[in-house]
Formats: sequence, structure tokens, C-alpha cells
Amino acid sequence: MSHKHDVNKEIENEVYCGTLPVLPKERKYGFMDALLVLSGYCIATWSYTQGSYLATLVGFKQLLIGAFLAAIFMLMVYQLPVILSVRYGIDIWIWLRSVFGPKGNKIVTIIIILVNFPWYAVCCELFADSMENLLGLFGIQLFNGAHLVLSLSCVVVGTIIALRGVGTITWTTRILVPLLLLVGVAVVVVGFTSVPMDVIWNYQPELAGDADKTVNYVLTIEANFAFVITLVGGMAEVPRLCKSEKSGYYAGVLGQGAAGSFFVVVGAVMAIAMQYVTGQMVDDPTLMMATLSAPILGLSSLLLVAFANIGTQAVGSYIYGVMLKSTFKKISYKTLVLVLGVYVALLCVWGKITEYFGSFLTIGACVYAPLAALLFVDFFLIRKQKLDLKSAYELPGHNAYQYSKGFNIVGIICLALGFGFTLVIYDPIQGIVHNKILFMLTPTLASFIFTGVLYLLLSKIPGIRRYIRRDTYASPDKRPFDRAKVPPRQNLFFLPLMWLLCKMTVSPYKLKIDKHNMEGIKPPFLVYGSHNSFMDFYVTPLALKPYRANYISELEGFENFGEWIYRQAGCLGTRKFINDQSLIRNIARVIKRGDIMVIYPEARYANVGTNSHLTPSIAKLAKMLKVPVVTLNMQGNYLQQPIWNLKERKGARLHADLKCVVTADEVGKLSVDEILERISKELTYDEYKYQLENKIVIDDEWRAEGLHFPLYKCRKCGKDFAMTSYGNKICCKHCGDTYEMDELGQLHSLTGEVIHIPDWYEWQRGFVHEEIREGRYKLDIPVRVEALPNSVNFVDCGVGRLIQDNEGFSLEFDNYRSEKHETLKFPAKSMVSLHTEYDYRGKFGPCVTLSTYDDTFFIYPTEESRDVFNPTKIQFATEYLGGLYS
Amino acid sequence: MNSENEIESRIDEILKAEKQNTIPRMTKKDYIIAAVITVVSLLGIIGGFFL
Repeated sequence: MSHKHDVNKEIENEVYCGTLPVLPKERKYGFMDALLVLSGYCIATWSYTQGSYLATLVGFKQLLIGAFLAAIFMLMVYQLPVILSVRYGIDIWIWLRSVFGPKGNKIVTIIIILVNFPWYAVCCELFADSMENLLGLFGIQLFNGAHLVLSLSCVVVGTIIALRGVGTITWTTRILVPLLLLVGVAVVVVGFTSVPMDVIWNYQPELAGDADKTVNYVLTIEANFAFVITLVGGMAEVPRLCKSEKSGYYAGVLGQGAAGSFFVVVGAVMAIAMQYVTGQMVDDPTLMMATLSAPILGLSSLLLVAFANIGTQAVGSYIYGVMLKSTFKKISYKTLVLVLGVYVALLCVWGKITEYFGSFLTIGACVYAPLAALLFVDFFLIRKQKLDLKSAYELPGHNAYQYSKGFNIVGIICLALGFGFTLVIYDPIQGIVHNKILFMLTPTLASFIFTGVLYLLLSKIPGIRRYIRRDTYASPDKRPFDRAKVPPRQNLFFLPLMWLLCKMTVSPYKLKIDKHNMEGIKPPFLVYGSHNSFMDFYVTPLALKPYRANYISELEGFENFGEWIYRQAGCLGTRKFINDQSLIRNIARVIKRGDIMVIYPEARYANVGTNSHLTPSIAKLAKMLKVPVVTLNMQGNYLQQPIWNLKERKGARLHADLKCVVTADEVGKLSVDEILERISKELTYDEYKYQLENKIVIDDEWRAEGLHFPLYKCRKCGKDFAMTSYGNKICCKHCGDTYEMDELGQLHSLTGEVIHIPDWYEWQRGFVHEEIREGRYKLDIPVRVEALPNSVNFVDCGVGRLIQDNEGFSLEFDNYRSEKHETLKFPAKSMVSLHTEYDYRGKFGPCVTLSTYDDTFFIYPTEESRDVFNPTKIQFATEYLGGLYS
Repeated sequence: MNSENEIESRIDEILKAEKQNTIPRMTKKDYIIAAVITVVSLLGIIGGFFL
């Protein structure tokens, strides 16, 4: 009992220490150490099986190319991610949690063991063959079924050794590797001395009549790809002990590509020599030495090979037992080793593992090739050589790799499709080539490329990218967005698709577009549109059809939908409420090349369906560009999806007026004020008035939910941030004053008073102005800050402080660029308004944004400030202080 | 809990070592050499079709 306890304790310790990140000072291996350890793992009696298998397919020269160059080529590529193991001191099983999720990783571990463990059945078969052949040489006949008994005895003894734990395994390995080297040397000497050199060098296999030499060569390359790729499972724990990335990488490449391949060639030499002498190709070194030299040498080698096979079986059971233990912590090591033993025993009972050696190699590679591709692409192209280690170790509060209940659906789908792709090319069981062109790449390489490209392309889709890159905070892309980049024209091939999408989106809302004064107006011209909701981006292209246009878009949209798509749609990226000279230059470029430039001058969605004041800068821009000015006033877009509750209201009806308000002739003659007046007049709107006048019924039961964000002040008791909303009601949490929203967008008090929502909204603004005038206004609260430097990702800037007073904003936060806790000032007069959100992407609730040229800071309340953080009030103060309403 | 603390402190140390480049990185030169070996191997494999 005490021994069992010790073994379990040893294994627990091994598993625990085996999964911990290895610190630099604990690293043991230089290049040579790692090379020897990995070479030792790659050298096993199955190398002879591989060598003799290759000799049945191709001549010796092609065999050499396959064994060395194919192995090295594949290793050079798929060993590259080993760099991460060295850098972080972790094995790939930890890293794979980021690719498949912790639970998905368990499934992948089981699959890997299922496809890998037949190697050990090969060892048991070789052990049985050796025994039978040698006993036969001495004239001893065995009973029927003796082969199975012998192979099972190898399983049993190997399993018993594995069950004895780390100490026994260490000794086994110390004896095993020199023994195998000794056998290898003996085979080389006997093989090359017993047949003439040119017999081996000029060897060509006798192929069946229908055999294709090219197909056989490809199968050789495939077998070598598969041979090296399927050994990665057992080698995965070594690189993390290396002292440098280069030593870990090249030790992996050469351990398999040179030492492992050398023994494959030795196996081939042995098989060729045996065929030359006896006419029979064998993969058993014992038989070969007994036949080609002296029986006594065969007998000695029997002992070596027998022990080697048992030892390999024992080491394999141990390595995979520990690997399983680290994944399935609750199951005892003993049980896991016994399960592995049973699996190998079943393969021995089946008895055809040697016959189907090539098939099982390819099936193994079918799994490993996509796995290797996922690791490669994930490391270099998606995570850019960074991993969130705390999430990989599932530490509390670090859940980036939990994905969908512990499964990364994208990674798992890619693995499955990569596996299926191989089968589409080649049937490894029947040996049938389905697609000869792709087969020329070899099934393993084709699957590697297919899976890698698929994973990479999927990662470019913004929604998927956000799903698989939940760890961006650990390694964000900090490069600032290139605002000066010349915007492409709207893609002509993309345009019909865009119109179709727009048409489909607006069709439930019966969009009607009226055009006024548009006769003879052709691009280039400037369009100023009202801005109510995302629906604006669907209505505008339809209103401007058949012309293409360019649009100004906040960078956040680029991040949300992907830069490539936004560029195809003709978007110019910018940040809100900054003096962006690059944007002006790009607008001028768009007009100069004869296109339409669409600008939403309010630069923010309407909070309650009414327009914001416009600034003279838009009229100055029109005068500078000297092109006609067209306004697009869209109605119903706000009603369909108000910013304070983004659920779509099916009852909304859309209408748009496209009108030329300043012709090319007039733009030079009219003053800035006159142009501004014309634009402002046409872009004046009141969505609730439009709803009431057109009797647009919106009867969704939840129609008032969220209305307390813009209507934050109680009309009765005057308390700020006291309002709440549910269903079709908005009420005060403090005094209980309640209003019901009717189906035409009017609010009714319990006393029968009818309230027009924009009136309530503007009533609040007056109080903020008063607070500021009387010097009472000051916001000083803790906030959570995220920066958006580019179209790729947000960067966590920690918890800071937001202060707003008569001087403007002061934002204190962790500046990721300087890596210091800093304060940025945003003078009041530098911004006429502020971007606000009421529940930004369901992340942390309401937010406001402040921008510099290279960053947009998304500012959210903390738990402490949630009750006093209201974007609407902050916006009112900003607009007053910035001069928009003074 | 102890094992979590142990892992966390190790991770912090590893990240610090990463910043300080304690574990020597693969250099640009190393990557170029790897690329050359890969291409040469590939050319060798292609050459094998003509044997």
C-alpha cells in the first residue's frame, strides 16, 4: 500500500511540476542535451518498421530524400511554435487550451492518444515477431496463438513497469536508449557488410503491375511527414526545459530529422539486405542479424530488442499516462495506465496493426496536420507570439480561453474540417487517391495548408476574431490607426451586394425616398445626413443610388466590422471631436476624384430623435470644396432602433428626403452663415413628431425600456439619475412619479399629463447649463478606461478617474504607451460635443469617449460610480462648455 | 490555492523574464536560416520526383 501511495504521490508531483511554467533559472537543457533527449525518444524499433515500409514503395535514393528532406521540411515548419514553449516554459498541452478551450483540449488529448498509441502496439508486435522468428531459427515450434500471447506479454510487462512510476521509468530510459543505439549500430554493420553497397544504393522495389511510381514517391513523403508529425505528442514536454529558443527549435528538428530519420534508413537498409539474401522483406532486426551474421548475434540482439520493445511500451504508457493525468486530474494514474494497456492489448488482439501501418500513420497525420497548422497560425499570425498565461492556467478571474463553456468552437471546427479535408484527398484505409492534384502535395501538407488558411481567414472576420482573441488585453496591437491612408473608392463589385443588403434591411420598414432639386446634380457633391441610428448607413446608399460614395466613420466601426469591409464600403476612418487635418485632406481627395462624400455632421446618434446644433465648420468645408451641398434627412431610423434600446421596432416606417440645398454656383456666392442656415433648416427633425403626425404605431411591450438613460432627471422631484424604466413605463425610483409611453411615442403621467419626450430632454439641459453658470457643476468619479488605438483591438487602461469641470475633461488612467499612470487634459473649448453610448456592446454599460489623434478612450463607470455616471448629463455639459449651446 | 499562487508568481516571473529577454529569442538571422533550410528541403523533395 505504501508503495502504491508513493507512486501516486510521485505522479501527482510529476503532473503538478510537469504543468508549472519552468522558470529560466530552472532550465536544464542546452542544444546538445535537448538533442540527445529528443533523439532518444525518436529512436525506437518502430523506426525499422517505417524503414521497411518505405522500402516497399520506392528505391533507395528516393527513400533517402523522403527520410531526411521530407522529415526536415515538415519539422522546420511545425516545430516553429516550439518557440512559445521555450519562451514561456510550458508544454503545448497548456497552450492548446487557447486553441480549443480547456474542455475542448480534453477531447483533443483523447483523440491524440487514440491515434498515437498504435505505435506501442507496433512495438508489441515486433517483440512477438522477434521471439517467434528466433525460436524458429532454433527449431522450436510454437503453438497457435503464441504470437498473441507474446505480444500481450509485452503489454503486461511494459504496463507493470509504467505502474512502478518515475524512478523505474528513469532507469528504463537510461538503459533503453544505449541499447537501441547498440542494436542500430549492429544492424548498420551487418546490413552494409553482408550485401554489396551498390545493391543497396541501386535498390528498386518490385512494384505490382498497377502501381504508380509517382504515387509511391508521394506516399513515401507522406509517410515521413506523418512519421515526424505524429511523434510531437511525446516530445511536447521537452522544449520548455531548454535555455534558448534556438536550442529548443533545432533540437526538435534534428532530433527527429537527423537521428530519427537515420534509424529509419537503417531499417530500410536492413529490409533491402534481407530481401537480397532471402527474397523476403522483414522489419525485424533480430531475424536479420541471425540470418545475415551468426545465430549467436541474433540471440544477443533478441535480448536487446526484447527489452527495448518492452521499455518503449513502458515509457510510452508513462508519458501518456502523465499527460492524461494532467488533463483528467480526478482519475488515478494507475487507472489511466491500465486503460492505455487495455487499448494496446485490444490492438494486439486485432493483430493487423503492422499490416495497416501506412494507414494508421496517415490517420494519425490527419489529426496532427490540422493540429500543427492551428498551432502555427495561432502562434505567429493570430496571437502574434503572445499568450495570456493566466487564462491558459485557468487562474481565477482569467477566463479568456473559456470560450463557449470551455470549448473553442472555431478551433474545433477547423480541426474537424482539416481532418475531413485529408479524407477527401486520400482514403488511408483502402489506399485510394480521390484527388490526384491535391495528393501531390501529400495529404498531410494539404491538410496543414488548408487548416492554416481556413483558421487565418476565419480570424479575419471581426466577430470570430473577437471570439478567438479574447486575450487581446494580454497582447494588444498598439499601432495607431493610419488616418492619413488614402481611402479607396467604393468597390464596384461590392456595390451591388451592398445595395442588396441595404434593400433587404430596409424592406420591412417600407422605406420611401423623396428627391428634391436633384435634377442635374451629379457627383462630385457633398452630402450632409441626419444621424439617428445604424439604419442611416443602409438608407444612405439607396438614396444615392446609382452613384457610389465615401463615408466618414468612427474607428469603432472599423474595429467592429473589420477594416477590409469598411474600406470596401468606402469608409474614411477618424475619431470623433478632434481636429483631424488628415480627414480634411482625404475628403478633398474624394471630391477631387469625382465622388460623393457623405458626412453625418452631428457626429453622434440622436438621443431622443431630435437634431443637434450644427457648427459653421460644415459650411466652411462646403465653400472650400466648391461642390453642391445635398442634405439627407432620414426619418423613422431613430424610431426603428433608438440608441437607448437597440432592439428593433418592427412598427417603424422609414422616410428620407434627399435635397440639393446649395448648388455649385451658389456655394461660392453664399456666405458661411447662409449655407449653414440652409443645411440646418433641412436637417431639423423630430422623430416623435414624425411618428405622431404619421400615426406610426410602435406597440412593442418593452418600448420604454432604456428611456431613463436620456431622461435621467425626475420631472416631479427633480432628482438626477433617479429614473428607471421597464416595459412601456418610465418612473422615478425616488418619488415614484410614473409615465406610460403610448404606441405613438407620447408619455402620459398618471394624472393625465401628456409629455413630448424631446421637451423633457431639453428641460434637463437647462438645469445643467444653470449648474455650470453658477459654478456648481463638477464631475469627479472613478472610471474604467479602454483605449482603441486602431481597427484591431481595444487596450485595457485600468481604473482611473474622470473629472469634468468648467475647464473641460481631465482623464487619469494607465497609459499603455508610456506604461505610466498619467493624466490627459481635454480643454472644454476643444470639443463641441461628446460621443455617448448607453450600453456599449453589452460590455460594461454606459460610456462616453474622449479622443486624441492616436487613441479613442472609452470611459465606463466602475461599480462605485455607476449610479452617478450618466452620459447624457456629461454630454449636456460638454456641449455647453464647448460653445454649442451658449 | 497554494498551487494557484505558485503558478501566478511563476507566470509573473516568466513575463518579467520575457521582457528582459532572459531566454534568448530566435533572431531574424535564425529565422532566415530556418527559411533557407526549409526551401532547400522542399527543392530536394521536388527533385526526388525526377529520380
